[in-house]
Amino acid sequence: MKVTIKSWTGVATWRWIANDENCGICRMSFESTCPECALPGDDCPLVWGVCSHCFHMHCIVKWLNLQPLNKQCPMCRQSWKFNIH
Amino acid sequence: MLRAIGKRDRDIFEEVWPDKRRIVLKLLRQDTVSQREWQDLFFGVHFVCLWDEKGAAKIYDCLQQDIVEFIVQAQSQVQAQRGEQALLATYIVEWRKFFTQSNYLPLPFRQLEQSPQVKPSSSSSTSASASGASTSAAAASCSNNSSKTGPSTSAAAASTSAAASTTASSTTAAAAAASGSGNNGSSTTTSKKNPTEDSPVRKLMLDSWNKHIFHDIKHRLQDSAMKIVHAERNGDAYDAQLVVGVRESYVNLSSNSEDKLEIYRENFEMAYLKATAEFYRLKSTEQQQENGVLAYMKYADSKLREEEVRAKRYLEPSSFSILTYTLVKVLIVDHLNSIIAECPALIRDYETERLNLMFRLMDRVLHGVGVEAMMGDLQRHIMSAGLADMLSASEVITQDSEKYVERLLELFNKFSDLVRNAFNDDPRFLTARDIAFKTVVNDTSVFKMELPTSIANRGVKYTAPESKCPELLANYCDMLLRRTPLSKRLTSEQIDARLRDVLLVLKYVNNKDVFMRYHKVHLTRRLILGTSADSEKEEDIVEWLREVGMPADYVNRLARMFQDIKVSEDLNTQFRSSTSRHDAINIKILNAGAWARCSERVSVSLPIELEDYIPDVEEFYKKKHSGRKLQWYHHMSNGTITFVNNFGRYDLDVTTFQMAVLFAWNQRQHDKISYENLRLATELPDPELRRTLWSLVAFPKIKKQILLMEPTAIASPKDFTENTMFYINQEFAIVKNGKSQRRGKLNLIGRLQLSTERSQQEDNQSIVQLRILRTQEAIIKIMKVRKRMNNAALQGELIDILKNMFLPSKKMIKEQLEWLIEHKYMRRDDDDINMFIYVA
Repeated sequence: MKVTIKSWTGVATWRWIANDENCGICRMSFESTCPECALPGDDCPLVWGVCSHCFHMHCIVKWLNLQPLNKQCPMCRQSWKFNIH
Repeated sequence: MLRAIGKRDRDIFEEVWPDKRRIVLKLLRQDTVSQREWQDLFFGVHFVCLWDEKGAAKIYDCLQQDIVEFIVQAQSQVQAQRGEQALLATYIVEWRKFFTQSNYLPLPFRQLEQSPQVKPSSSSSTSASASGASTSAAAASCSNNSSKTGPSTSAAAASTSAAASTTASSTTAAAAAASGSGNNGSSTTTSKKNPTEDSPVRKLMLDSWNKHIFHDIKHRLQDSAMKIVHAERNGDAYDAQLVVGVRESYVNLSSNSEDKLEIYRENFEMAYLKATAEFYRLKSTEQQQENGVLAYMKYADSKLREEEVRAKRYLEPSSFSILTYTLVKVLIVDHLNSIIAECPALIRDYETERLNLMFRLMDRVLHGVGVEAMMGDLQRHIMSAGLADMLSASEVITQDSEKYVERLLELFNKFSDLVRNAFNDDPRFLTARDIAFKTVVNDTSVFKMELPTSIANRGVKYTAPESKCPELLANYCDMLLRRTPLSKRLTSEQIDARLRDVLLVLKYVNNKDVFMRYHKVHLTRRLILGTSADSEKEEDIVEWLREVGMPADYVNRLARMFQDIKVSEDLNTQFRSSTSRHDAINIKILNAGAWARCSERVSVSLPIELEDYIPDVEEFYKKKHSGRKLQWYHHMSNGTITFVNNFGRYDLDVTTFQMAVLFAWNQRQHDKISYENLRLATELPDPELRRTLWSLVAFPKIKKQILLMEPTAIASPKDFTENTMFYINQEFAIVKNGKSQRRGKLNLIGRLQLSTERSQQEDNQSIVQLRILRTQEAIIKIMKVRKRMNNAALQGELIDILKNMFLPSKKMIKEQLEWLIEHKYMRRDDDDINMFIYVA
């Protein structure tokens, strides 16, 4: 008797790799959405700054739009730059 | 004539008039009047009025005398008749003659219209009942018609159409007479108004007739006319023209220009209604007693029609509605209870024709009393028959969703047909049907679903049992959408039709959230296992669900699931082109929020081959999406393995857990392995291992199982002990038609477990949990907008928001209100305990 695999379908979900549980702006869990969204996941993505802090994209964009001059990270006050991997 | 000038006034009238009076008498008698005489009369009237100050009044008085005399003569002729028909006939002849003349005779006397002297005498001759109105009308017409030739345009022109046509026909006669050619009343219709209609002379003629002849004999006339109608109703010989003639005289006799039908209405119409009511009061009771209620309905219906036709002959159009009212009262309302009493039996026997008849009869009754009673009967019948039908088949339908849904639909179609055929799809009956359907669908006596709750559910202790219908509907949908014998048998159009039917039933379901939940679970299985019969149809039904009012966020999640599957397909293509090693690997990456709530992850020790693949996939995914990591859900993973033994070679569709178990024998194929050792080898939690092993030793409906066990007499997976031994069935083969096959394909997955045993118990709890959250959410949503709201209004809006998901019970609403108040989301008004105030 011999058993061999012919094909396999693996099912997985994905999670964000964030250094914190909650978004520092809206205080909502990264696993859920920012307050404006209904569906977590692709529709409400996370973004990282070069300072390594991470927020809901919707939250940080809203925050940056409210800063007239110095666009700073709300956590560490370093000037904000998106970390594009 | 000019010699008359200079004579005293009195002489002029006395000299001229006796001559002219002869002409007047000739006219009244309908004797031949020459052209010359006719002209003389005009001239005479003009002459007297011109030269005699009081000439107009004198002429008028004289005229009145002559008319009264003439009428008295006519009266004696009419009164002399003994027989009813003869009386009517004579009266009609005399009346017609007189009436015809009432159109010509006033013409020469138009000059009188301008004379103020005529007015007071005209009012004195008016019959008492009409005096006030007619005086003012006459006054108005006198001043209006100062231009002599033009047709009357006074307000009186607005008369009923029938009155207009009778006067119009006499217009031509008047015109013919005016030209002096003769005075035979040929009647053709023209739309012109009779110029003499408002003349005081005509009024004088009609009023005199009314006073001197009509008043005395109108009762005899009416009685005679009603006797003829009675004879007609009894089917005897009759002369309809006599009745019509009498009616015409009633209509034309009225000189009241504001209400031309006054005399007709107060006398003829009243008598007609009374006679009709009396006739049918007797007849209807008699008919019902002799022939029974069912035959009576036919009788009533035919008589109603018959009387409507008869009314068109004998009555003015203004009387139709009151006649119908009277008939309905006598023929239907007075027998309402005995008719309605037949309704339940007729519905039971599907007597659509008779029901239709009954409906038509009842629909005539004001305020819908009868119709309402019938609606009640229909509703009760559908409920009791529907439930009885379900109950009688309960053994089959609780097991088989297909049979259940088909039986339900059959029932619906049957009753919808009944409503269409018997009640013409009348909206009131459709509503009654819908209410009854709702009861049948949501009934819990045939099968129910308990929704247990846990203490964690914020004070909700228990919930009422609910109908299992939505679950079965979802199962049926699954059978249609999955590749099953059923979906293979049906054409695409048939499947569409059945899916539509499901949605139709779903409309009546109260707990739609249960359907959504099961539908989603089934959809998850179909998408993960790739067992959809038609992916286009899958997406169609999502849109249909949106159309029937399923909540948007629920439908969006379903759409998201399809999107995930498509994205995963792209990902697979890219993955395979990135490495040549993994052609056999498929990955399905799901958005956690969109899919059926996944339970906690189950650890499993995968076969070595798979363990090799996993890091490659993870690495690939990390490159694609930075900041994300994969979490494997192996209880949903599945695959195909090739199983080779001495007998043959088989492709088996298995779950990853089954795979892990079977791979334990790969190195030691003839060994018997104990439960305990399998647990160590696979690292599966106890309940999952038991379930997986059971599916391999006792898979339903196959002759030869792939695994065997020792001892063999184990009845359920709970009875496995640590020392139960398992070993590969070396004789395993796929059996078809009693023959073992050397090659073949077999699906051992069955119903893919989406959740572990423990979380399955939580499933139904989570329905309740979700309802609580939905209720709270909806209350807050409403209160945020309204700020202040009383209890009743709040409940109304709440049910409106939630009804597409479930029907919140009063109890639950109350509990959630209390919870929200307790947690300071809102408060009660200090003065009014039923008033809630939103707290920001």
